[in-house]
Amino acid sequence: MILSLIILYVVTLVYLSITERFRHYATLMTYQGWLLLLIALFRLHSIHWVDLLFVVAETLIFKAIVVPMILRRIISHTKINRVQPAGRSQFNSLMLSIAALAASACITYLVADASINQAFFCVSLYALLSGMILIVTRRRLFAHLVGFLVIENGVFLFSMAMGVEMPMLINAAILLDIVMSILMLGMFLTKIGERITADDSESLTSVKD
Amino acid sequence: MDLTMLYYIVAAIALAVCTGFARSRRMVVGFASVFFVMQALFAVWTATGGAGMISSSFFTYDATGTLFMALMAVVSPFAFVHSFDYLRDNDLPEFRLYNMLMVLLCTAVSAVYFANNIAVTWIFLEATTLCAAGIIYHRRSAATLEATWKYIFVCSTGIAMAYIGVLILSSAAHEGSLSYESLREAVAHCNPLYLKIAFLLVVAGYSCKMEVFPLYTIGVDANFAAPAPAASLISTVLVNAGFVAVLRVYRLMAESAVFDWVQNVLVLTGIISLVIGALFLRRTNNYKRFLSYSTVENMGIAAIGLGIGGVAAWAAVLHVVAHTFIKSSMFLQIGVVRSIYDGYRINRLGDYMQLNRIGAAGLILGAVALLAFPPSPLFVSELMILRETMAEGHWLLVAVIFLLLCIVIYSIFSRVIKLCYHPNQSPTREAPHATWLSWSALALLGMALIIGLTMPEWLKVWISQIVNF
Repeated sequence: MILSLIILYVVTLVYLSITERFRHYATLMTYQGWLLLLIALFRLHSIHWVDLLFVVAETLIFKAIVVPMILRRIISHTKINRVQPAGRSQFNSLMLSIAALAASACITYLVADASINQAFFCVSLYALLSGMILIVTRRRLFAHLVGFLVIENGVFLFSMAMGVEMPMLINAAILLDIVMSILMLGMFLTKIGERITADDSESLTSVKD
Repeated sequence: MDLTMLYYIVAAIALAVCTGFARSRRMVVGFASVFFVMQALFAVWTATGGAGMISSSFFTYDATGTLFMALMAVVSPFAFVHSFDYLRDNDLPEFRLYNMLMVLLCTAVSAVYFANNIAVTWIFLEATTLCAAGIIYHRRSAATLEATWKYIFVCSTGIAMAYIGVLILSSAAHEGSLSYESLREAVAHCNPLYLKIAFLLVVAGYSCKMEVFPLYTIGVDANFAAPAPAASLISTVLVNAGFVAVLRVYRLMAESAVFDWVQNVLVLTGIISLVIGALFLRRTNNYKRFLSYSTVENMGIAAIGLGIGGVAAWAAVLHVVAHTFIKSSMFLQIGVVRSIYDGYRINRLGDYMQLNRIGAAGLILGAVALLAFPPSPLFVSELMILRETMAEGHWLLVAVIFLLLCIVIYSIFSRVIKLCYHPNQSPTREAPHATWLSWSALALLGMALIIGLTMPEWLKVWISQIVNF
């Protein structure tokens, strides 16, 4: 069951690399939130029920409901719909994403030993790379924000891969994840849209040497 | 079980909240003052009565934490006093928010210093991001918004990387507990590849706090955007928090089979940081960014010291201690410069010697100390690092460091001399408190010079305890 959920998670990441509409990004983040919730339920069933309740509540409320909701508000607030192509076609993005998946599989094969769940390790690495690719190849700040959220989801998956015996670490990471993400989303919603109207990463280059 | 650290954190947060809801500037100053006194008393107590004690399960009053806590207790009141003058035109809500965040930043940093658990270190380092972000955004301009956005974005990504490193480290060690003590015992038998990956991720992640390669840029942007007195803290006590976090992982790795590799990584990180610092010191046109690149350069030297090991590791800690006094003094002096010129443009400011003799003297003396001329304690630390590097036979490394330090010396002197003696092209204004603020910043520099001249025995013992693991 967990493997099927992880494969679905990979599909969302691949689709994320080729989609151009921001509302699709928001929808995919919703799916990722629900998938992470189910994965957490299946993966962490052996931890103390209080810790499990915390993880489940956080994933459900925050990742599956609040984040997508804020993303949709940002879309309606800033009136942005599409990613500006940065000289790369969807085919190139797809190839880049598949290369990242292949690289994650190779790295997992090379480094993972019996102490690490290889499927979790591979997919979380792929999520990290996907987030970074999104940040590097897309010009619009909204895509960067989604890239950051994808990285955070990857880290969450990674912590589930390794942290079954360390619920305290997972909880702490989740709490800070919530705070930082809400801070970033809130800042984007209330400040960036007002001050930097083009919401293009090019407009964030005045602080430099 | 001793709970002093918990009490300290709770009391500090309570004072921060009181500061945040104070009804007048006088009350803000009052609450902040109470915090400094409490911080100073706590620093004294951890160095004497509480030395070596484990507190609230996750904190230990060891030599590392105590030394850096003492430094913060000395430096932060100066930053606060300068802030009161710097923010005199701000309205009450801005003034109290700034001070509340400064109190919270100091509290989070003190928790990083004393944390005996790698997860707790990570948590409080992340907490410093929240506090620092609010301070960076203080001026509410487009530039500060951009710097804040970048700071949160890159710090969060960096800290997430460090988190993965922590997870890999704990997984490799097969340890349920994440205390440094239990990890130290476990790493000796760990998979070396995991240790290498974990160390790379932790150093890369924490580099955003320590202001070394690869994530040094956001530290520079943060210092540029934050008010100068806050930058004096961000560039010293917050950088020290990053240094302490890396130092603790470095000490863990000393027990493992990959320690030589770890040292090489630190030397490489240090050299690249030194190159970046040296080159950008020439390039930048802003005095705050200029001082920030000097921080990158100095933390690069400290990383090289740790990488070389032995006596050089001892010197690296001394280097960071001395840098704390000197750099905070320089940032506070630059804050005074801003009060006279209302700007930091290097190509426009001049004649500072005519406008504020004490401030100009402080900047020149600070530059002399920063460039490690005797009696600066940086002279001792850099000499020790270079001597140990020569003793290890790394002659190419010595040559590269010498070359880069020559560029640094030229850059810093030319910029400071320009500010003091070249014709001014910027409008000036009355700054009634400039002289005594310059004197107070000079006092910090004086402390550094006293350390350089006397090299007190207690400091030597403290640093020896830190590097002898």
